Amino acid sequence: MLKALAYIFGFLLLGELITYFFEIPIAGNILGMFLIFLALRLKIIKLQNVKPASDKLIKYLVLFFIPYGVGLMVYFEIIADYWLPISVAVIASTVITLYISAIIIEKFGK
Amino acid sequence: MQEFFQLPIFGVFISLIAFAGARKLQKKFNYALLTPVLVAIVFIICFLLIFNIDFEDYNRGGKFISFFLGPSVVALGVFFYEKYEEVKQNLKVFLLSVAVGGISGVLTVIIFLLLLKVPDFIIESLAAKSVTTPIAIEITKLTNGIPEITAGLVIAVGIFGNAFGPFILKKLGIKSKIAIGTALGTAAHGIGTARAFEESKLAGVYSGLAMCVNGIITALITPYLLQLFLGSFP
Repeated sequence: MLKALAYIFGFLLLGELITYFFEIPIAGNILGMFLIFLALRLKIIKLQNVKPASDKLIKYLVLFFIPYGVGLMVYFEIIADYWLPISVAVIASTVITLYISAIIIEKFGK
Repeated sequence: MQEFFQLPIFGVFISLIAFAGARKLQKKFNYALLTPVLVAIVFIICFLLIFNIDFEDYNRGGKFISFFLGPSVVALGVFFYEKYEEVKQNLKVFLLSVAVGGISGVLTVIIFLLLLKVPDFIIESLAAKSVTTPIAIEITKLTNGIPEITAGLVIAVGIFGNAFGPFILKKLGIKSKIAIGTALGTAAHGIGTARAFEESKLAGVYSGLAMCVNGIITALITPYLLQLFLGSFP
């Protein structure tokens, strides 16, 4: 578990390091996700070396964003003024997104 | 008493207890809108309001919990490696469907919000509304939006997809389970994926992978699309 966690943190650090030095507009953790996938594909690291930690992190993913959700209370009055346009735009966009991705794979997938 | 609530352990403890309690509640009633993350957030907000505690004080502990979002995104890369074999035969169509769906998700929400004359900082906070919360938060930080608004709305989108996604898709004539899974992961991230697993195991895997792929695509294109439409992002 400790080793697995060190690998995950290591790839996060690597991602942050690259974005820091090259000033590319992508978050370090997203780069870290891409790099760890690549490292697994190229067999630089083994799945069983990282799986214990990654499974646990994914299992509790929703717990980790609760504090951000609570932070919405600070902005509640600001967005309350725009609740109707926000709801309309977000719901319409979500339905379009759902339909477009579903219809492509339904028509052309196996 | 205010000093007590400023101790980091308060924020950590109430987050854990609220989440554990909310999960118990969902197991008991199994109702879509009782999704644990929503119940936990509403409970904590009410608690803070009732006892007149500042969000900043709560977040002294809360930030120890949200720190783990960073490593969790890296963990999604491991999940993707583990599962992508299962979508291999459909890989090209799958990637196309997530890419086109994901890009239209960002485009349409920016255009609709612009048409409805919503202020720029809200548009910047909502452009990445379809992707998993930790990635959406990172995108919002890069585009000068407000991450807390992003988190709240992203969770709402997930709950909407979870509660109504399969129903809407079936009404629109979608029959394939993997199409429903891919759509839920693309449009409604992890909370939608939870619903996709209820449709079928394979639908769930497609959904989880769609969530990862759309996270990357949306992270890559959102800063540029916002710059194109708002012209303000550096």
